[in-house]
Formats: sequence, structure tokens, C-alpha cells
Amino acid sequence: MKIAFTSAGTNWDAQIDPRFGRADFIIFYDEEKDEISSFDNRNIIKVAHGAGPQTAQKLFEFKPQVLITGNGPGGNAAAILSQMDLRIFTGAGGMTVREAYEAYKNGKLPQSD
Amino acid sequence: MKEIVIISGKGGTGKTSVAAALASIASQTVMADCDVDAADLHLILKPETRKSEAFFSGVKAVIDPNKCSSCGLCQDICRFDAVCHQGSVYRIDPLDCEGCGYCHHICPVDAIDLQEQQVGYCYISDTKYDCQLVHAKLEAGADNSGKLVAKVKKDAKEIARKTGMNYILVDGSPGIGCPVISSLSGADFVLLVTEPTLSGLGDMRRVNQLVEQFKIPTGCLINKSDINPEVTEKIRAYIQGKDILQVDEIPYDEEFSQAITLGQSLVEFNPAKWQPRFTKIWQTIIKELQ
Repeated sequence: MKIAFTSAGTNWDAQIDPRFGRADFIIFYDEEKDEISSFDNRNIIKVAHGAGPQTAQKLFEFKPQVLITGNGPGGNAAAILSQMDLRIFTGAGGMTVREAYEAYKNGKLPQSD
Repeated sequence: MKEIVIISGKGGTGKTSVAAALASIASQTVMADCDVDAADLHLILKPETRKSEAFFSGVKAVIDPNKCSSCGLCQDICRFDAVCHQGSVYRIDPLDCEGCGYCHHICPVDAIDLQEQQVGYCYISDTKYDCQLVHAKLEAGADNSGKLVAKVKKDAKEIARKTGMNYILVDGSPGIGCPVISSLSGADFVLLVTEPTLSGLGDMRRVNQLVEQFKIPTGCLINKSDINPEVTEKIRAYIQGKDILQVDEIPYDEEFSQAITLGQSLVEFNPAKWQPRFTKIWQTIIKELQ
């Protein structure tokens, strides 16, 4: 399973960025390979409108099966993500990436429809 | 650190009066005015600017006359009629240019540059209350954006972190567009301020659909609750059905406009009457955040 986290940094101890579109980084964890990588999304600060759809488009390129974030994507971003085979889990705001992964593993994060 | 966002969907429900009243009693709080199109929190909070920073957003096309071959292609394709020329000298009227970039991409001699626009300023200020205020001012014709809201909130968070504040209270933007999405993104609690009019109810429903998408715990304050009992009843039914916390109902009160006219928050205007009420509202919200 490839899992994406919206985060404020690039490693397991980074805080989850509760925002989707304007998240600073996206961390990808490949469970099979036990590999962590990240995408620097900070350029999104320059985007005046439509940050959500742009970040959603980025996810398309990396094709994770699971997204873990804080509030969940807004309407336009969600419409794009619904075209992917992606399960979205929210409520990870305030956690570190590691804690969010544990919470997801233990079924503690709510899944968006 | 928790972020509380006040929104209304509809204008004129008393959102900023509520925000200002909470600002005057809330401790451990940084205020952020994200209602930048019609910012008015500063009229009550009387900010003394500590730091100001130019804000850039969007681009406008500019023709370099030394490179331009006067082919006129940009004028043909511009949907906004922003390209004008006198003889062979072409230029772009910045008031008409929407910054779409079509001319920049199509120019055969690369004479058109897209230049970032300074559209306003962001401020960090002290206020007459206990809290600092992060706010912004846009030039005439410039519009609020998710980018600007994100910037205001980011600055507010940084101040809160540096000064050890627990809460960020955001006066959110109107409507349901990009600035509101940016206001809501990352929030821990949303306070909907509404009024019992049909548009008050309709706009609250509409903006709440957005809040639901973000799965943020929500409370509702019905202002002017006695002006239309029938619609008030509908609002009550709606928020019950949606599991929204009913924070308070405030009957119509002329002191709302009297306080604003004097540049005061309700709590300043009539502390005996409003301080206990808004203290209770604030405590209700804080309790939800625990």
C-alpha cells in the first residue's frame, strides 16, 4: 500500500499539515518497500486560487492508494481525487506523521466518503 | 494551538460584531482578519501597526517595446480587449488585463512578460485589547484570494507560536469560494453566525456544506433571533439535524450598530450586559476544543 500524508516536513516526526491544497509537503510511504519519500509542495504559496485542484493533480502523478490528512480536501479537489482509486482518511491534524500512521493502522481515523 | 473560524455565508448577520466582542474578552488569542474584501475588524480593534509587508498576487502582461514586432497577434487573441496600440506601438492596459497569459504564450518574439502584481499589504498590529491582529489591505480592484488568506493565517500562527498563545480567532471571508476554503482549511472549530432571514438560512446551509466537507466541529449563533420566529425555528431544526452545536441565540439589539458607530465592541459598549454573555459563548467554544 502506498500512503500519502499532508505534512509540514519530510520525515516521520513532521507534523501533519491539516490543510490539503496548501499543505507544505506530501509524504509518501510505501509499505511494501518500507520506503519514505516526499514532495515539496511549498510553491503552492504562490498560487492565488485553485490550490486544492493543483495539489490533487500532483497526487495523480504519485498514485497513492491512501491519503491521510487533517480536514480533508475541498469540493473541487475532492472531485478530482474521486477519479482515483484513493481512500481518504481525515482527522490527523495535530499528530505527527508517525502518530497519524499508527492511528490509521488502528482504525482510529475517520474515512471520507 | 487551536484555530477558530467565524463565518456567516451571508453578509450583515453580525459576524464581525461577534468576532470583535470575542476579541475583547478572549485571552491567549491572536486575531486574524481574513474578510479582506471588506475588512472592518480594524475599525473596532484600532490596530497600531508593528510590521507591514507588501503582498503580491496574480500577474499582468507587459509588452517590451524593444522586442515587440508590432504583429498585432496579442490584440487579436486577447479576450479582455486589454491590448491597445498607437501606430506600431502596442501596450497592455493594466486595468483590463486579467493576467491569463495567453498573449505571453503566443507572442512570436517573446516580447510579453508576465509581471507579479503588488495588490496590497499585510499587517501585524497591536490592538487596544489583549490580542495582536494580523490583517491586510487590498488596493482598489484587487480581490481577496486563498493565497492572501493563507498568508494572514500563517502569520497569525507564527505569532501565536512565538508568544505562546493558545488560540487563533479568524474573522472568515464571505461566500463559499476560494478565500473561505482557505479560511476553513486547517481550522479546529467553526462558528456560524446567522440570522433568521431566508437568505441567512440559505447561505448558512450552503456554507455549511463546505464545512461538512472539511469535517470541522461546528457551532451556530443565531443573531437577531426574534425577527422571524418561523425561520428561527427552521434554523434550529437544521442545526439539530446536522449535529451542530447551538452556541447562543441573541435577540435583535440596536446596541450592535450603536457600538460599531462608536468604534467599540459590544463588550466595551455595555460590559454589564455583554461581557457575561460573550464570556459564556467563548467558554462554550473552548470547551468544544478540549
